[in-house]
Amino acid sequence: MPETINDTVCIIVPPHQRMLKVVRLTTTAAASQSGLNLDQADDLNTALDELFRLSLSKSGSERTFCLHYNICSDRLEVLVEDINAGIGDKTSKVGRYRRFIIDKVVDRFEERSNTKGGFDILLVKFMSD
Amino acid sequence: MAKKPHTTLSRDEINSLFLNYKDNRDSEIKNVLVGAYMDLVHSLARRFVNRGEPLDDLVQVASMGLLKAIDRFDPERNVQFTTYAVPTIIGELRRYFRDRSSAIRVPRGLRERSYMLNTAIQKFSQENGRSPNVSEIASALGISEEDVIEGLESNEATMIASLDTTSEGGDLSLLDMMGGEDKTLKLLDERLSLAGAMSNLDSREQNLLYLRFIEGLSQTEIADRLNISQMHVSRLLRRSLQSLRQNLTTSSREPYTS
Repeated sequence: MPETINDTVCIIVPPHQRMLKVVRLTTTAAASQSGLNLDQADDLNTALDELFRLSLSKSGSERTFCLHYNICSDRLEVLVEDINAGIGDKTSKVGRYRRFIIDKVVDRFEERSNTKGGFDILLVKFMSD
Repeated sequence: MAKKPHTTLSRDEINSLFLNYKDNRDSEIKNVLVGAYMDLVHSLARRFVNRGEPLDDLVQVASMGLLKAIDRFDPERNVQFTTYAVPTIIGELRRYFRDRSSAIRVPRGLRERSYMLNTAIQKFSQENGRSPNVSEIASALGISEEDVIEGLESNEATMIASLDTTSEGGDLSLLDMMGGEDKTLKLLDERLSLAGAMSNLDSREQNLLYLRFIEGLSQTEIADRLNISQMHVSRLLRRSLQSLRQNLTTSSREPYTS
């Protein structure tokens, strides 16, 4: 698997509904740079919609939604920083729903514990042949 | 543009009817005139059929335009009726789209770009059997990638996708093509353990989710199957997911902001 990272894009937005558009625009632009087609870009946007709405539902006045895009030659990686509760409880309906949807629309997703006591979430979408 | 009505009535007979109607406002004469110009109504309505509204509705709107044109036409001005009726009917159709089709008013330039994008994406998908990427669309349209991305997002706001929309050239609505309740939908339900939330969804929304998330069809493949655009599928999927999410969050009492 080629490991070349051609570009990195980072955005930090407050978790306000109106900022979802900024996330979507950035994702579509990064997906385009990675050579993903519109279907694949929309898949990533679907996954990020879920994570963004999860972030909206959490409490705390200094919350941010922080995304790192690694634009690779064959894929796009998106790291969503510090979703403090992860995707959600595996036993809850909403948690299972999110896992199911995200798992279906991206090629890989991982929850990684971070040093802040929360979770980072990695989404990867590969360019199709 | 039709220059003369497709009718067995001669031009002189038509003129005579208009003169008579002007004097008497006889509803029977009006009915004859309406019948004489219904081909024109259908022809003009069909021009707008690819904008997501059912042809029957468009014919009704265009017919209203025809009625107005007949009422207002002055046969003594020595102008052909079609010359007066065509812009009246088209104006009625445009008003209909202005009033009903746009959920949010967006700048005309963006609307036009969005329409161009939709057409280009469909064309590309048909020719290549896959979804295009942004640069391919930009190249096909001769516009920048930034403009394509902006247009794609603006498209989301311009139209509320109706499940009753008739596919282009077809008699079946999207609802019809998506079929009724499918036993295999239980798969989705079982996999998600989302009995309550799924059962509250419209069966067509369930089917759309099934095609995407259980059958694993891409948006382009769903678009092909349903004879609608990929962008339309994208909007419908987003709406279906939103409904599902809303049902879940309501039932599980998880805080939710939309």
